[in-house]
Amino acid sequence: MIQQAAYRRRWRPTRYWLAAMIAAALFVVLVLSSVASLAIGPVPLRATLFGLPGVGFVIAATFFALRALHDHEPGIRLRDATRAAALFVVGIFLWLAVVDVYTFTQEAGPGVATACAIACVPTTAIGLLVIRRFDRNEKEPWRLVLVAALWGAVISTSLVVWAEGLWDLVFTATLVPGPAADTSAAYSAGIFEELAKGTAVVLLYLVMRDEVDDVVDGIVYGAAVGLGFNFMESVAYMTHQYAILAPVGLGAAGAAGQWYFRQVVGLFFGHATFTALIGAGIGIARQMPLISQRLLVTASGFLAAIAAHFAWDAWQAFVLVGSSSTQLLVANARYVLVIGPFAAVVLLLLVMGQHVEGRALRRHLEVEAAGGLGAVLPYEVALLMSPWQRFQARLAALARGGPGAYLGLARLQRAQLHLAMERWHRERREIDQPLAAEEALRQHVLELRG
Amino acid sequence: MVETHDDLRPLYRIMLVLGLVSVVILASGFALLLRFAPPGQHSGYRAHITGVYAYDPATASITGSAMTRFHRDQPFAATVDWGNLPAGMLVSARWTDSLDDDVGSTQPTPVAAGRLAGENALVPVRASREFGTNLPGPYTLTVVRYARGQPVELLATARVTVLRDP
Repeated sequence: MIQQAAYRRRWRPTRYWLAAMIAAALFVVLVLSSVASLAIGPVPLRATLFGLPGVGFVIAATFFALRALHDHEPGIRLRDATRAAALFVVGIFLWLAVVDVYTFTQEAGPGVATACAIACVPTTAIGLLVIRRFDRNEKEPWRLVLVAALWGAVISTSLVVWAEGLWDLVFTATLVPGPAADTSAAYSAGIFEELAKGTAVVLLYLVMRDEVDDVVDGIVYGAAVGLGFNFMESVAYMTHQYAILAPVGLGAAGAAGQWYFRQVVGLFFGHATFTALIGAGIGIARQMPLISQRLLVTASGFLAAIAAHFAWDAWQAFVLVGSSSTQLLVANARYVLVIGPFAAVVLLLLVMGQHVEGRALRRHLEVEAAGGLGAVLPYEVALLMSPWQRFQARLAALARGGPGAYLGLARLQRAQLHLAMERWHRERREIDQPLAAEEALRQHVLELRG
Repeated sequence: MVETHDDLRPLYRIMLVLGLVSVVILASGFALLLRFAPPGQHSGYRAHITGVYAYDPATASITGSAMTRFHRDQPFAATVDWGNLPAGMLVSARWTDSLDDDVGSTQPTPVAAGRLAGENALVPVRASREFGTNLPGPYTLTVVRYARGQPVELLATARVTVLRDP
């Protein structure tokens, strides 16, 4: 109800069409990639058996899509179209997950691949928890954060495998081994991996613009995509190392080393930082009034991510070249020296974004409280602006009325902040919905207050 | 810029500056590429890798027929038709293993193709001192031409696989 009331816009279909075109292009690429996986890649035909559930989802999606086309009642048509889209997306995810698992982990076998994946789950989960907490005032919904991470793990990795393979065949393999070939490979990784991950943030922004409020949200979603990608890449490298070193008794040590560098030291100093830069660009673009500014700042975000990724892949070998006795220290320090400056910029943008957002929300909460409409009371402003005070208030509600009271207050606080956010976007002319939408949000808050 | 109480211009400018810095980084990478793969170095020659064979380190000779798969405890070496290249051309050939480590080469430094042809030089893979056997996975042989002390042109590549089971 809130989303419908507050964010329906005349020009929204344009964004949806743009998103649909990008999604259709990606789908074609993924189908070609998938067919190539079966035809010339490492995926055996039996993999299609495990992919059958995915095929089933696509068939079900086709059924609902056809029914949506046939229906004349707009309500039923919309419901069927939504079901078709959801089933289609789930089917594609399932199928690509099967292809990914075979492509990235077949060397060491399913047991080792499962163990590696299980080892990466807690660290990636901690990463997602931390980045979600970056959004101090209005935390992003878990379902969207997880979709972003899933995209990074499954879709983005599928997209880059064949693009990087083709680049390697055409360019890198023709160059002299050493710095030239390494630089070419670094360009490939930077360009293709960041484009594949960044597309997720762009689509999220186009389809769910009401959930991408500003630079803070952009950083959260970007980092979530990066963490998902890092998860799958970690599993791939761990199983690869295991497969090579297991015959000489060092398989577990090799996999553990990869886990340490990719899931501990590089958890934030890597893909999370790169894609957060893209998210920051899109988040800032969301609040720019001119299309030229939006395009420029979005392009800057992509360029920054590509350059950061490129710098890491191309230059890490030249930074802090130490003796074998100091190798571990050097390997750790490289992350700080090469990726550190980019991570520092992400943190700077995050802090500045939190400051701007916090100031705006406080101002609008104060104005709302002064209006005397009852959605926000004057004494609640300071409480709503402090995550710690909000949490303490929920704990007090828990003590008084149990889990129901806790969840009820959480919903109320979320709706109040949502109202302030909506007012902020209205003030900045970032939405063109009439005031009735704001009133609908206010009524929702009053209903929650009971 | 929309007139509101908050100002997003600093964020916008930081991103634009970062974008410019990124262009410089990517351009410097291209300069690095040109430095190590300078244009105009195409000699027109191709080295001919005649095959990869089982190798006997004791006699420094190859045995049997050319193969593309080897066991981990099976030494192997490549043969290259060095006579196909100009005698004065400085070349080097090296093997890298599945971890991209150097595991064998013609000489520590590049030498004239004529000298390698005279010696009928092989390019053997030396088993890892640490493990005593070869690591499994793909092994890549590259033959490279040198000029002014640096590798400038890839003349040939070949790839074999070392199996997981001995």
